[in-house]
Amino acid sequence: MNAVSPTPTKKYDLSFARWVRDNVDGGDRMNMCMQCGVCSGSCPLGDQMDLGPRKIFMMVRAGMKEAVLKSNSFYQCVSCYRCVVRCPREVPVKYILHGLGRLAVQEGYQVKKDVANARFADAFWWSVTKYGKTDERLVPTLYFFSGGFGEGIKKSLANLKIALGMLKTKRMHIGMPHSSKKKGDLSKILAKAAEIQARHEGEA
Amino acid sequence: MSKKFTFYPGCSSEGSGAHLDTSTRAVMKNLGAELEDVPDWNCCGASVGELAAGHLTNAALSAHNLAQAKSVGEQDVLTACAACYLNTHSANEEIRENEATRNDLNEALGEAGLSYDGELHVRHACEVLVNDYGMDAIKEKVTNPLDGLKVAGYVGCQTVRPFAGTERGGDYDEYDDPDFLDNFITAAGAEAVEFENKTSCCGGSVSVMKPEDTLHLMHKILAEAAEKEADVIATPCPLCQTNVEMYQDAINEKFGTNFNIPVVFHTQILAVAMGLDGTKDAALHQNIIPATKLKGMAK
Repeated sequence: MNAVSPTPTKKYDLSFARWVRDNVDGGDRMNMCMQCGVCSGSCPLGDQMDLGPRKIFMMVRAGMKEAVLKSNSFYQCVSCYRCVVRCPREVPVKYILHGLGRLAVQEGYQVKKDVANARFADAFWWSVTKYGKTDERLVPTLYFFSGGFGEGIKKSLANLKIALGMLKTKRMHIGMPHSSKKKGDLSKILAKAAEIQARHEGEA
Repeated sequence: MSKKFTFYPGCSSEGSGAHLDTSTRAVMKNLGAELEDVPDWNCCGASVGELAAGHLTNAALSAHNLAQAKSVGEQDVLTACAACYLNTHSANEEIRENEATRNDLNEALGEAGLSYDGELHVRHACEVLVNDYGMDAIKEKVTNPLDGLKVAGYVGCQTVRPFAGTERGGDYDEYDDPDFLDNFITAAGAEAVEFENKTSCCGGSVSVMKPEDTLHLMHKILAEAAEKEADVIATPCPLCQTNVEMYQDAINEKFGTNFNIPVVFHTQILAVAMGLDGTKDAALHQNIIPATKLKGMAK
């Protein structure tokens, strides 16, 4: 299901903007960007992004593929949707950032073990496909240990008091994960959707 | 007003947001709404499903829920969780408007003998309270006004963004400075303090994975609530409630503060004001930082 963009190893790639337009969710509206910077200025974590959305959009147009896909900006996005509602040209900024963030990992511009969001997303998706639901105990634990055993222990201990508070107030339970009933149905639907998604990515 | 809805509880309803689920059901029932759950619901994908699995595969989660909701009846689908609403509403609109997506998702649903063509309307519980019931109907049910309770109404992000101002989102409020939550608070007889950070972000799922990057966002929210001498912070969003509550120790450690501010749901406040049971209906025993003053007012 890997969507391979044109010439994955090229630093400058003038077909990159077209590829983003055709393959990234919301990418077809990126050409509406007029570089006003409302998105970057509205972002709660804008000051922790190395590029920010406004720069990223211009760099995509310039074909600066490698520099774009090595950015940390995608993984600082908190999904607050301020950029989406404020953009005067209706560019769905958040969606494009997430799409680029996914692409950057797929194509190896970002190393998964260094991208907390990708490791968290994997832990999350594991629970969703196994139980049909997010298990709020297993997902964080799996994620903590995905960064290595030492980090797993460290993060688990740091969150111990929170977990105990959750248990005490019955917002976390002891026992098997909550699960949807007909998991076979959901698995078949998700597998088919992934197959269709891969088919489209291959067509592009 | 007797009205039926199909209810999508979402994963947090069985865990960190159990008190939102309990108090929402109690308040809606008290207003005369009848809720029937989506039979075998699954996760909506939250903020990270798309990063893990891609857009279409993530949307298939919602398509499965919606296909099952259709089997319950043609009434509107209601959800109280901000992320569940965002994902489910957004997938529903895409299925309605985009033929290619509709066909793709139906091809996937076909694997389980299901189909869905966007027949339903997915709505947030706050929008339903505003548009279908209104403040007058809520005030009518308030038998235990919360005189003297100062509340910082913290809306967060995804409850209102990006749909609260759209036609299908019910067009019930604005994105930066919405009024609905303050209106709920005053309808409950409490005082809504002026709260500039009402739509500031708590960091969402990034706070769960990398709190070191987002503690300052929550610090800003808590600092204003403390400055305005709020007794409680009230929010409609399960992730906001959990984040702003559970990280107060870490924030105190990092910023040298001494916050211990209860964070409750708007529906817990409404349930108490409606004279419903403080534990069974308002689930006040489920706040890690006890909302002592609100608890003292509960029947």
